[in-house]
Amino acid sequence: MTASQLALRDISKSFGTVQALYPLDLSVPEGEMLALLGPSGCGKTTTLRIVAGFEMPDTGSVTIAGRNVTALPPNKRALGMVFQNYSLFPHMTVGENVAFGLKMRGIGAAERTSRVRTMLDMVRLSGLEDRGIHQLSGGQQQRIALARALAPGPRLLLLDEPLGALDKNLREGMQFELRQIQRELGITSILVTHDQEEALTMADRVAVMSQGAVVQLGTPTEVYDTPNTRFVAEFLGTANIFTAQVRGRDGDGWEVALDGNASCVVTAAIPLATGQRILLAVRPERLRIGPPGSGALDARVHDVVFRGATFAYELRAPDRPAPLFVYTHERATAAAGDTVGLRWEPGSAVVLQEPT
Amino acid sequence: MTAAPRKYRLAPRSWTIPALVFVAVFFVMPLVGNLVRTNNTGEAVGQGPWFYYVKLLTDSYYSGVLLTTLEVSTIATLASLLVGYPVAYFMARYAGRWTGFFVFVVIAPLLTSIIMRTFGWRVLLARHGVLNSIFMHLGWMTRPPNLADDPIAVYIGLVHVLVPFMVLSILAVLQGVDRRLEESARVLGAGRVRTFLSVTLPLSLDGVITGCILVFVITNGSFLTMLLLGGGRITTMSLLIYQQFNTSGDIGFAAAMGNVLMLLALVGLGLQMLLHRRARP
Repeated sequence: MTASQLALRDISKSFGTVQALYPLDLSVPEGEMLALLGPSGCGKTTTLRIVAGFEMPDTGSVTIAGRNVTALPPNKRALGMVFQNYSLFPHMTVGENVAFGLKMRGIGAAERTSRVRTMLDMVRLSGLEDRGIHQLSGGQQQRIALARALAPGPRLLLLDEPLGALDKNLREGMQFELRQIQRELGITSILVTHDQEEALTMADRVAVMSQGAVVQLGTPTEVYDTPNTRFVAEFLGTANIFTAQVRGRDGDGWEVALDGNASCVVTAAIPLATGQRILLAVRPERLRIGPPGSGALDARVHDVVFRGATFAYELRAPDRPAPLFVYTHERATAAAGDTVGLRWEPGSAVVLQEPT
Repeated sequence: MTAAPRKYRLAPRSWTIPALVFVAVFFVMPLVGNLVRTNNTGEAVGQGPWFYYVKLLTDSYYSGVLLTTLEVSTIATLASLLVGYPVAYFMARYAGRWTGFFVFVVIAPLLTSIIMRTFGWRVLLARHGVLNSIFMHLGWMTRPPNLADDPIAVYIGLVHVLVPFMVLSILAVLQGVDRRLEESARVLGAGRVRTFLSVTLPLSLDGVITGCILVFVITNGSFLTMLLLGGGRITTMSLLIYQQFNTSGDIGFAAAMGNVLMLLALVGLGLQMLLHRRARP
């Protein structure tokens, strides 16, 4: 087992009467990028600010590289941090910005100059030392902020919505670039984001947070393919949620009856009992459209939208208030008003670990 | 062919005429009159346009008064800065939703009549005033000094009035300094003091300069505080003008001094505008 570079033990925090964070344990092995993903107010930013030392936790400890830093101020923790608005010093040049952390650590002028050059080469902005901050584009500012954070050789890199202020195309390019730099340096990183795509693209592991607690922690594929709650299923993309009742075992899986009496076979990570009521989640791209009566349930096509890479179907099923969604690469085979059958592969339906 | 759309106006330009006439008659004309007066009244008649200005700058008594004025203004400005910056910093960083309340507390002195306020200080600082009585009662002193007619009293009175201008100037700029810049500096290894000196202070310098210019110019022209609290032991330009006008009756000389004060105010205004243009390229 690799030593964890960051370990949070029993961390909790409340602001006034609001419990921002319930007791939380989290450890990040060396070299890993962990994403804290969740909607605003879920506690992800509070967690990051506790790691950085801007907030004091009510309980628990923060350990960085084996050293308990809970009581240390931010400047004594040897961290690098990139903020959403880059937060570059407007009264300093690019070079002075990148050199700031080195200067604070008492590194001499000659070494600072060469180190700044190395960092600017790394973020592909060589030779911009004497530029003013306002002469840079958003993407360039973002890279300078990264160079500034990494220049002093921090033990941990904190990324607070680092790409939030960039436009979509630039953001996607930067996701890969940031990821590549992080891997090359092998620096342990915490990424705070509310963008599920960003978390899935960049992180080794994703901690999905909601209402001050981590609700699921796993690799991007684990949290996307096998969400354990309805919240995780719906926050990470779109999910069709069905209520069903367990009928009994069927080989490796379980035979369950959807409400409306059609039945299907599902696999479950948790033990089930015959007669138990459960929630199933199926991703829109895992649903298949066939003739009426051919699948687990029938539904009427409400609308079909061409979205470039896929066709998106919105369907309505009887006795079901929420619409169903299907994404398919195939040419539209059904039109609005048609009734179709919906089916899926046994492994595609995930049994959620929460009561109906 | 379509007619060019008529430009929308809330009111015709002619509506500004009463205001312009008022300003011209009661503000511009007296100032122009002051310029003329330095040339054609009293001793200046036939001596050329610069007579009174040369007298002001070369006569050691008068140039001494001018230097005293600048000295008092400089000290009052620095004192207001020392008192005002921490107050502005506290309001910008820690007051939160109480900021409005603190702004009221800060500007409250300005809502009192200057005469009441100045006599208030006399009541507190006089030989048998409130402060000395308390100190005597506590046995901290036996021979009470009269602080009410002392340069110290002038500075206390000035700072009391001027700190609001300093605080509001600095506060406006400090509120615009992103706290995340300070947090960035902290994460990069700067302690509280280094963060303040290398990030917060440089970024609030515009407010400091604005406040200093404002306070300096106001002090140059302040009169009642000097008159009522100085006890004749401090003579500044404003007091000298008063003497020239009321005692010596040398209206031309008084006008020349007024023009010098106005020039100083204009220089301050010019510096301020220069700074403003530099801040917004």
